[in-house]
Amino acid sequence: MAQLTISPEDVAVEASLEAAVEAARDTAAGIATIPDTPLLDRKHQLGGYRLNKMAMGLSDPANREAFLADEAAYLDRFGLTEEERSAVMRRDWREMIRLGGNLFFVLKISAVDPVRITEIGAHQVGMEHDAFLRERLGKRV
Amino acid sequence: MAQIIGGLGTSHVPSIGVALDKGLDATPEWKPFFDGYQPARQWVEEQKPDVAVVVFNDHYNALFLDRVPTFAVGCAGEYQPADEGWGPRPIPPFQGAPDFAWHLVDTLVENWFDPEVIQEIKVDHGLQVPMELFWGRPEDAWPVRVVPIFVNVLQYPVPLPSRLYHLGKTLRTAIESYESDERFVVLGTGGLSHQLQGARAGFLNPDADRQFLEDIATRPDELAQWSREKYVETFGAEGAELIMWLVMRGALSPEVLVRHQHYFVPASMTGAGMILLEEA
Repeated sequence: MAQLTISPEDVAVEASLEAAVEAARDTAAGIATIPDTPLLDRKHQLGGYRLNKMAMGLSDPANREAFLADEAAYLDRFGLTEEERSAVMRRDWREMIRLGGNLFFVLKISAVDPVRITEIGAHQVGMEHDAFLRERLGKRV
Repeated sequence: MAQIIGGLGTSHVPSIGVALDKGLDATPEWKPFFDGYQPARQWVEEQKPDVAVVVFNDHYNALFLDRVPTFAVGCAGEYQPADEGWGPRPIPPFQGAPDFAWHLVDTLVENWFDPEVIQEIKVDHGLQVPMELFWGRPEDAWPVRVVPIFVNVLQYPVPLPSRLYHLGKTLRTAIESYESDERFVVLGTGGLSHQLQGARAGFLNPDADRQFLEDIATRPDELAQWSREKYVETFGAEGAELIMWLVMRGALSPEVLVRHQHYFVPASMTGAGMILLEEA
């Protein structure tokens, strides 16, 4: 079953792969030029590790209880910077994302302290919620 | 040998699951969305596939940033629903197909794909929602076994669209060389247009979504040649997960029958689309 030799077909596959790679070539820098799209900024993304790890902890019911009982103490377990800690305590969604928080982690905070995802969206854009629903999502509100 | 009978593409928006949990599927807001899936549900019920290969991404529910596999194949016998912050959703666990999954891993490695191999993992809405949309929510057990293929579409670098298309072709090789009379479907999930992060949050592109639903059937080679940047620009940062549909399409024949497609916007913050492709 295993292919132990390189056949002409393999070489052809490799050549087509290389062509595809060439055609599709883009760089992290190139993608990062798409306006207002933070996830491709590697420096920010890597900087969010602690914040994201804290939020990942909220997948565990015991940690959700700890968060609700004493949020500051829960946050302190993850060695957040003062900036990160403050952004979480203030529920400053835009700032959490700016600090490298990924939305899928941030949403775990919204599971413990309920807020709609569209409110998080509106906050990041700096729009009123109803205006966000109308203008960005085309809803009739 | 095993046989691939068709491909299903669908969004996997978590709010679809929430709507089902709260029994909102017949409300005016959601009914047009769920109605769009009825023809595909009927097809699945008639065809009764034995195994569903589900291409999706974990949304940091089972996998964390400490290790990020570009591709991973689930070889487990069972997959429990993940706790995404509200507790696990009330759905039965999914039965795996480990024998085929290991054959798939062998075939991938022999064809220069080197996936992470997973024997224990929970699955989040990325897999749950598509299964509920096409199979309905069973009381006790799912009538189909699943093989999850996890793709990293969240932390860059994510794989090239052309690579995913090629992965689909290799998946077909694996199915067609599997000694069994089982019938397979492949699910490509994610998208369509949406962006959840940054000042571009709320970005939607219904025209491009509708065009994608046409092109995935008739011009997949072109979609596979797009850059990742073009996917992000066209469909939004999270909408770019649409590249996972290319695995499904790559697994099918060049010529396919479009049995059904549907589009609904917005489901939560997402352009929600589906397609049912049958082997010609």
